[in-house]
Amino acid sequence: MTNAQARSPRSTPPAQPTEADKQLLQFAQGVEIAAHDLYKKAADSGKFAGDELAMISMFGEHHNMYAQAINGLIGKAATNQRNESLYSTHVGQLGSAQTAYNALRNVENTLAATNTDILGQLQGIDAARVLASIITVEARQAAVFGTLPGLNLLVALDKSANSLAPSIPQASEATTETTVAS
Amino acid sequence: MNNISRRDALRVSGLTVFGAAFLASCGKQAGVQESGNISSEGVATPPAELPEGVVNDVVLLRTAASLEYNAIDTYTAALDKGLLSGEYAKLTDAVKRFRDDHLAHATALNGLIVALGGKAHTCANERIDRIYIQPALELLTASDNPDMAKDVVALAHALENVAAQTYQGVVTSLSAPNLRADAIRIAQDEVRHAVVLAQVLNGGYASVGPTTNEATGKANIASVPGPYGPLAAIPLTVGTPNAEGLKTSLSLETPSLNSLIYDYVSCS
Repeated sequence: MTNAQARSPRSTPPAQPTEADKQLLQFAQGVEIAAHDLYKKAADSGKFAGDELAMISMFGEHHNMYAQAINGLIGKAATNQRNESLYSTHVGQLGSAQTAYNALRNVENTLAATNTDILGQLQGIDAARVLASIITVEARQAAVFGTLPGLNLLVALDKSANSLAPSIPQASEATTETTVAS
Repeated sequence: MNNISRRDALRVSGLTVFGAAFLASCGKQAGVQESGNISSEGVATPPAELPEGVVNDVVLLRTAASLEYNAIDTYTAALDKGLLSGEYAKLTDAVKRFRDDHLAHATALNGLIVALGGKAHTCANERIDRIYIQPALELLTASDNPDMAKDVVALAHALENVAAQTYQGVVTSLSAPNLRADAIRIAQDEVRHAVVLAQVLNGGYASVGPTTNEATGKANIASVPGPYGPLAAIPLTVGTPNAEGLKTSLSLETPSLNSLIYDYVSCS
């Protein structure tokens, strides 16, 4: 729908993140770094090898890329600190391949839920676009853990997870109204 | 010395006279009436003008709802016509679940649409059906197609990706952040469906990420095609293989301005 915005007579949201957006994206960056660190821990555990290890490493690298992309969106506001709460909740569940799968699937679902709640608060369109493209991949990665090594449909489609997203109110001037000269 | 013969002179003068008479018969001298309906009886009906379509949140959500019905109809056809045969018959429960999910999405979307003051849309997107789904169904149900059931799964996989990309794509067009979140929640269901189907079509750990078919040079179906959700044309290869063993390739895209479900579009 490439021309949709051009034909739509409505208020124009800002492209750049607002101050409230930056706080929300700081949080998103923290959970992405935590997810990356959890995948690295799993990959380094020696419990995975070959193609399975390559998949675990790829998923972890995706989260690293997301943290860097968010860094690019918020610049100096980025803290580059992992979310310790998310990390500590799951790091103890990486003891076996089976528990690791459950843990990593929960992490992906938690990130998808959290980022969706953040998307529902963002005013800036640039960040919304990036976050939307991240969320769909996190949902895919969660589903993969329900399809391998064998398909469990209920697990693959399970999206139950609690969002960790904070609620940060936007300043009233965040949206720029389109005006028509008279 | 003049080189024009008497015969040439007669020919030229004859043409001149004929031409003058012809032109005169085409002009006012021939009694032509000054009317816009010279060549027709009665009054021609002026061409109907399409209503002006304004793209807004309601139109985007109605379009998304129409895609849900495309998926519902396709899954229903697969189930009712027994297209999932052989080893793919085990997917019947999954397909029923996916259809139920799409019905739930359509209901949720229409709830949002009505809440925004719009009119619910409860049928498939006719253009998407006409240019993508029906041609694919025709190809894959050909009597000499040895991979009909697999091709049905491939079509379903492509449609799930079209739906997911549509939701992801409209995020930047929807005016309200809460609507963007609602759209991406549904997109998550669509990509989960797509992953299940991708693993059926090209399973295993090595096929989770992007890979390339060495014979064709084209991308293989992947559960996670890349680090970011793509917004690109979705390839679909179905039908009876030709002499070289190649199937017909189609390219599916998300709805554009000519396939949006504007306010004035209704189910026939």
